[in-house]
Amino acid sequence: MKKHIQHLYRRIGFGILPSELDKLSENSRKEIVSGLFKASSVMSPLEVDASEIKAAFSEMMGKKLDSQTRMKVQKISRQKQIELNVAWIDRLSTSKEILREKLTLFWANHFVCEDNNILYIQKFNNTLRKHALGNFKDFVNAISKEAAMTKYLNTKQNRKQKPNENFARELMELFTLGEGHYTEADIKESAKAFTGYSHNLRGEFVFRKRAHDYGDKTFFGKTGNFNGEDIIDIILENKQCAKFICGKLYRYFVNENGNDKHINELVDVFYKDYDIENVMRHMLMADWFYDENNVGNKIKSPIEFLVGMKTLVPTDFKKPRQLMYIQRLLGQTLLDPPNVAGWKGGRSWIDSNTIVLRLRLPSLLLNGAYISKTKEGQIDTQMEMKKELFKKRYGKRFTTETNWAYFTQQFKSVKIDELAPHILACGVSPEAKSYLNALEKVSKQEYCIQLMSLPEYQMC
Amino acid sequence: MDRRKFLKQSSLASSLFFVPSFVRAFEEVASGSLGYKRLVIIQLSGGNDGLNTIIPYRNDIYYRERPSLGIAKPEVIKLTDEVGLNPSLTPLKRLYDKGYLSIINNVGYPNPVRSHFRSMDIWQTATDADEFSQSGWLGRYLDHYGKHPYTAIEVDESLSLAMKGEEVNAIATKDPKAFHNLSRDPYFKNIQKHQNDVHLSEHNLGYLYKSMIDAHSSAKYIYETSKTVSTQQNYPQNKFGKQLKTTAQFINSRLDTKVFYTSLNGFDTHVNQLNTQKRLLKQYADGIEAFVIDLKNNGTFKDTLILTFSEFGRRVKQNASVGTDHGTANNVFIIGENLKKKGFYNGMANLNNLDDNGDLKFEIDFRTIYATVLDKWLEVDDKKVLNKSFSQLDFI
Repeated sequence: MKKHIQHLYRRIGFGILPSELDKLSENSRKEIVSGLFKASSVMSPLEVDASEIKAAFSEMMGKKLDSQTRMKVQKISRQKQIELNVAWIDRLSTSKEILREKLTLFWANHFVCEDNNILYIQKFNNTLRKHALGNFKDFVNAISKEAAMTKYLNTKQNRKQKPNENFARELMELFTLGEGHYTEADIKESAKAFTGYSHNLRGEFVFRKRAHDYGDKTFFGKTGNFNGEDIIDIILENKQCAKFICGKLYRYFVNENGNDKHINELVDVFYKDYDIENVMRHMLMADWFYDENNVGNKIKSPIEFLVGMKTLVPTDFKKPRQLMYIQRLLGQTLLDPPNVAGWKGGRSWIDSNTIVLRLRLPSLLLNGAYISKTKEGQIDTQMEMKKELFKKRYGKRFTTETNWAYFTQQFKSVKIDELAPHILACGVSPEAKSYLNALEKVSKQEYCIQLMSLPEYQMC
Repeated sequence: MDRRKFLKQSSLASSLFFVPSFVRAFEEVASGSLGYKRLVIIQLSGGNDGLNTIIPYRNDIYYRERPSLGIAKPEVIKLTDEVGLNPSLTPLKRLYDKGYLSIINNVGYPNPVRSHFRSMDIWQTATDADEFSQSGWLGRYLDHYGKHPYTAIEVDESLSLAMKGEEVNAIATKDPKAFHNLSRDPYFKNIQKHQNDVHLSEHNLGYLYKSMIDAHSSAKYIYETSKTVSTQQNYPQNKFGKQLKTTAQFINSRLDTKVFYTSLNGFDTHVNQLNTQKRLLKQYADGIEAFVIDLKNNGTFKDTLILTFSEFGRRVKQNASVGTDHGTANNVFIIGENLKKKGFYNGMANLNNLDDNGDLKFEIDFRTIYATVLDKWLEVDDKKVLNKSFSQLDFI
């Protein structure tokens, strides 16, 4: 069913275009879901050119970083972070490995981290991508050893003589178990197991034996000379970990309101071997995933909104800073989370500023700020003039290039009256519908802009 | 109500309406009885060097640790026999002399974090150093006590975490006209016509419609109210000056807003600090003085409290680049007309008693300041907002 395919693609990606939809519509659910995993079976790292920093670092290897090199690295890093941000957004809107990319985005708001060194944060980002559909235990271990993470949650400063509990606490509270499923003593003891975790200049993991506490630790009722990996083993033995992760996956991909029965189904699959691909496959094959209650009821994140828009009408931001600026105004700048708890999501994306901007952005970026209001049966006489005027006045400020030809091509087979279900994930409210019905459908482009300027367009 | 009575009342009402000054007076009485006080937050981002702001000019350790960064005694603007101000702060000295300034020293929190992001996060969310929150302290004030999004306004383009609640968010605008214009296309007016308010919050789509309707009416209200006044006051020609000018315009137009949030950036002075800080503190002090005068001239200063903070102070010892590295405790400025404790609220830090990093040890938890402001100024339950009980100070 086309409707189900559209729902699937809105959740595991950023929507699907009619031409692609037509191709898939004859396939079974199993074939379509398998196709998604197959397309994501490869992993293409996301990289910007950071050779300058690598070169500077290899000269310094083994020495202490002098302040001049540090400042140079910071300066290049700031520029490169913007490049990486833009490349990531571009990747999200064009990648064939869409399921892997969507999960990478999900994990980026689970294992939340930031770092001002481009090498480290890029490496971290690709670790998310690499393990996005892999084994959760390997994933947690890899994260615990990432340079950016050992910096962000101070594992680097965690030494036998002076333990730092930051990572141990967040490991349990935010990454694996959730609040209230461990004691302060568990935090203290497990922090000892992660002593000595550090990294070298290139961002590779280094275990500093002399800083490690080889003494016994008592954690979750077990006593032994545990290291970090042992601690992660013990945490994952607790079914609560599978519950915590499955609950989060469910609320992200299916419904903000959890459903115990469905989540428990996922937990039973996940707890067996902590294989992320298996649990995702179960979710996407389940009938309840396509239940009417779970369709079109989620508020898009700013990135889902932006990338969705770009998927529909390819848009090129000539000035990267403008794309950064829009993300900031919308409340979600990739690589720049508010804190380790990440973005709250859901209704908190929406406030007076962001709703006004979200409603206005499609027309501003794609259509010379114009939303047609021509009454049915009449000709839109103002359109060209108004768009020209906008271009003349503000054109320089909006350095975006839009490819409407692509949109026209993709929507060739869709009749104008059938456009709405392709653009919107939910039905239009009766009040807005009656207004839209009184308007002339000037063209597919103008109608598309009208639909994108509705609150309904914020849903996925 | 019979017809005659109705006519009488409505004609009275309309005659009141056409006498603006009378209405203004009436509103002031009404607002006074409702505890209509305003709080203005000024965030100095980057970590302002408190020791070169409020200077212990008789302290040998200060000069020993800062051989080329310490401000020479003759240049310091003396406040007491021991302590003075950075030479850029002459306007602040005038506020001090009038008794409008209270300086709280050594403000911080336990287990200080020296990362900008994290420490700012702690100040904005008012959590412990090992806790994280997805809502800010002023956002939670809005959750409990804000009637409209515009109960709190950040005079900027986007919202800080401080201004985001669990349920309600503040509004960000530095240009009410532009914000109003952005929302004004008749298309939006038409799609929200006849929307039935009752069902709106039940589901996410309804929530979006409700947010749209609220936003559009807020944008209109802020723009139309604030444009009724224009200031005669000269402000410094910089971003911060403009922010304060807009804030004063909001306040003087009697916008029904309790909290304003502004910020001044660039205090992360690792290298050649002297000139950078001098320039920034001048912007700060010039701006604040213009702001206070503007409010005084419009009779709104008595109901306004201005709180200035930075995410941390800086290390006592200067670094090799004639700058300073990230530190801990810092000073907070409270500016207002009827302060209980004018001048210095408490003594300066003991430079003989530093922590392992060579940083100041904090004496006053910043959340006790928040608690005081919430309870005594905004007159709300501080425990609800801060999720914890803090002892209170005695500056207002």
